[in-house]
Amino acid sequence: MDRRTFIKATGSAVLLAPVLIRETLAAREPSLVAVAEGTDYAATTRKAINAVGGMKRFVKSGDVVVVKPNMGWDRASEFAANTHPLVVRAVVEECLAAGAKKVKVFDYTCNDSRRCYVNSGIEGALKGMKNVECKQIEPERFKKTTLNGQFLKEWELYDEALSANVYINVPIAKHHGLSKLTLGLKNVMGIMGGNRGYVHRSLDIALADINAHVKTHLTIIDATRILTAHGPQGGNIADVKVLNKVIASTDTVAADAFATTLFGMKPSDIPVTVAAYKRGLGEMNLDKIRIVRA
Amino acid sequence: MKLAPSRICQLFFLALFLLLFVQTEYRGRDEINAAVNAFFRVDPLVLFSYLLAVKSWSWLLLPALLMVVATLLLGRFFCGWICPLGTLLDLVTSKIRKSAPIKALKGNTKYWLLLPLLSASLFNLNLSGLLDPIAILLRALTFLFYPILGMAARGGWVSLYSAIGERRDTVAPAYNLIRDNLLPFRDTIYPLAFFSAAVLICIIALERFETRNWCRNLCPLGTLLGWLGRFSPFNRLPTSLCGDCGKCRELCPTGFDRDVLIKEECILCMECQRGCPHGRISFLPGLMKGNGPLLPERRLLLGGMAGGMLLALPARFRPPEKQSRLLRPPGVQDEDDFLKKCVRCGECMKVCLKNALYPAAYQAGLEGIYTPLVIPRLGYCEYNCTLCGQVCPTGAIPSLPVEAKRREVIGKAVFDKNHCLPFARKIDCIVCEEHCPIPEKAIRSRDVQVSGLDGLVKTVKEPYLVEEICNGCGICENVCPVETKAGIEVFAVKNRTPIPVQSDGHESN
Repeated sequence: MDRRTFIKATGSAVLLAPVLIRETLAAREPSLVAVAEGTDYAATTRKAINAVGGMKRFVKSGDVVVVKPNMGWDRASEFAANTHPLVVRAVVEECLAAGAKKVKVFDYTCNDSRRCYVNSGIEGALKGMKNVECKQIEPERFKKTTLNGQFLKEWELYDEALSANVYINVPIAKHHGLSKLTLGLKNVMGIMGGNRGYVHRSLDIALADINAHVKTHLTIIDATRILTAHGPQGGNIADVKVLNKVIASTDTVAADAFATTLFGMKPSDIPVTVAAYKRGLGEMNLDKIRIVRA
Repeated sequence: MKLAPSRICQLFFLALFLLLFVQTEYRGRDEINAAVNAFFRVDPLVLFSYLLAVKSWSWLLLPALLMVVATLLLGRFFCGWICPLGTLLDLVTSKIRKSAPIKALKGNTKYWLLLPLLSASLFNLNLSGLLDPIAILLRALTFLFYPILGMAARGGWVSLYSAIGERRDTVAPAYNLIRDNLLPFRDTIYPLAFFSAAVLICIIALERFETRNWCRNLCPLGTLLGWLGRFSPFNRLPTSLCGDCGKCRELCPTGFDRDVLIKEECILCMECQRGCPHGRISFLPGLMKGNGPLLPERRLLLGGMAGGMLLALPARFRPPEKQSRLLRPPGVQDEDDFLKKCVRCGECMKVCLKNALYPAAYQAGLEGIYTPLVIPRLGYCEYNCTLCGQVCPTGAIPSLPVEAKRREVIGKAVFDKNHCLPFARKIDCIVCEEHCPIPEKAIRSRDVQVSGLDGLVKTVKEPYLVEEICNGCGICENVCPVETKAGIEVFAVKNRTPIPVQSDGHESN
């Protein structure tokens, strides 16, 4: 190599390097969605978590973890209105096994919170576990948070969710009258205070605003049984379909996109998913999502 | 100083009363086994006014009937051994300096209270709960003192948070213990709170004049028990003051105004026996003529009857504009029947899970004062909750299994299109549909093409009501995000036939 060639080569390399590095970063792995299936819901949940890298990937020793199920309704678990207690418990156990200092489980419920905590079965499932808190919402903990979103400029969010080291979203997949389905992106409403009904007037944009602000490290969608109609509260066992599936992903949009297919719908049918995708919060095109059956 | 057996018993029942009071709340279980309604179940005033007003028997009243029998046998022991209001008075009276008894309260005043009250019951106006001592105590606690306790405790806890933030969690276990076992779950402000407490405070203030002033001269329950107690074969001997001593007059909290023991005012506290320097006093069974005639004089009887009748008729006036929002607890199907049975004790309002129930001040007319009203904007009837029926002492709110209670109609929801967002502002909302607990949804929505306020055509979900399956629980009105006045409201209906079991026959939860 003569001097001239060497200079050209180094020069172009120096010039191109940042571009190349950016390119390789941009072409990161496609969003990974793990789908586990089985009637042992605890084991199925663990399989799904392991397929996205195991809980140690998210939870470091000494972390405070928030596990946010959907337990908004005073319904027994078979009615598919709340996240299954066994799924919640498995997630909590994995967090503890990964070294979490404390795991907090809560939801800002729609029905009377005492009844929801009891009848969802979640409070009972976590009873007696060390370093696990299943506390009811304390209104003073809602903090006015600047969002600078497209619809919500600011909103009251729950301080425990904001201050946790790791936030794990554990929704149940179910029908919803307004948003068609309620999945991971909508489950974030459980950390919102204030007049929550207000956001219904522009639900998709509002949820993108909140999800852009709240960092979700892992989304685990409980599709062990899904509510296909009369959601989000249900109450009729005929509307419940047992699928025995648990979905896990670091990308809430991708997890939601896949879960949508369980209802025979396309991700583009769900305005909440579309709005989050457009906001750059994740991938909704199923052909760009790597789906792993665990 | 050794406590008298009667005092120990009083303290026990006061403690029991307070314990049951605190227990009259949802604490994680669907059933409340023991509630403060136990005190009303044994209350003969409730028994008599119920029988006179409803004119039929209910087995819920059996304990009160047993109390009547016990009083016939033993005398007016309830007042000296059990009544929590009496105990409260005994505990504070020594701190209150006495002036002379009020003359106007002596004589037949108490009968002028009791008789019209009972006679009004006969004419379908059951107001005895207004003056029932246990109800007075319970209402003052429920509507004012307990909420104040809750607000003070929670206020302190919240301000601790603003002071030290999340570090407050280190002392949370101690607070949680108090919160879960002692405090009301929610801070509620009740109408008539001040008035309810004022009545109790007035009764305490009456101790300025003489001990047990209320019990002796006014309390209709005490008067009734005293009258029943006159038939008791149990007697204090000697029946009058001894000429050489007279200490009884000093010891006795009630019945020794004159030289002779007034049997119907003796509450059997036995303080005289304990304090007698000569050991002369005994309480023994034996036939003894009571003082005075068994029935009050004819003028009083007739006057009492007439008074009750005169009270009963005009009290029935109900302001018509309030009728549309006269929403009763679930299971109440007939307003008149409800008013005859309701003790106005306030227990349903104390126990209500979502604080949907509030005492009526004037909405139900004079007749309906203190009766429970559902105010959906403040709280809704929780679909799976049956607590109000469980604690109602007389079954005015029937105790129903949850499957039946869910179908009971409180009222029917009606949209107000001037407020409801999809109609008034052409934007999506349907928070009401989301919350409607009926499995088949009594509120549904349909996609409608509308021209928005900006003139552009768009699709909006317009809600509508399926009236046949609406139970009027009021959660829609409660959660409606329109500020102040809701876009959907529950209105009273005459026909409260329970909504039919859904034809698909699926068990719902």
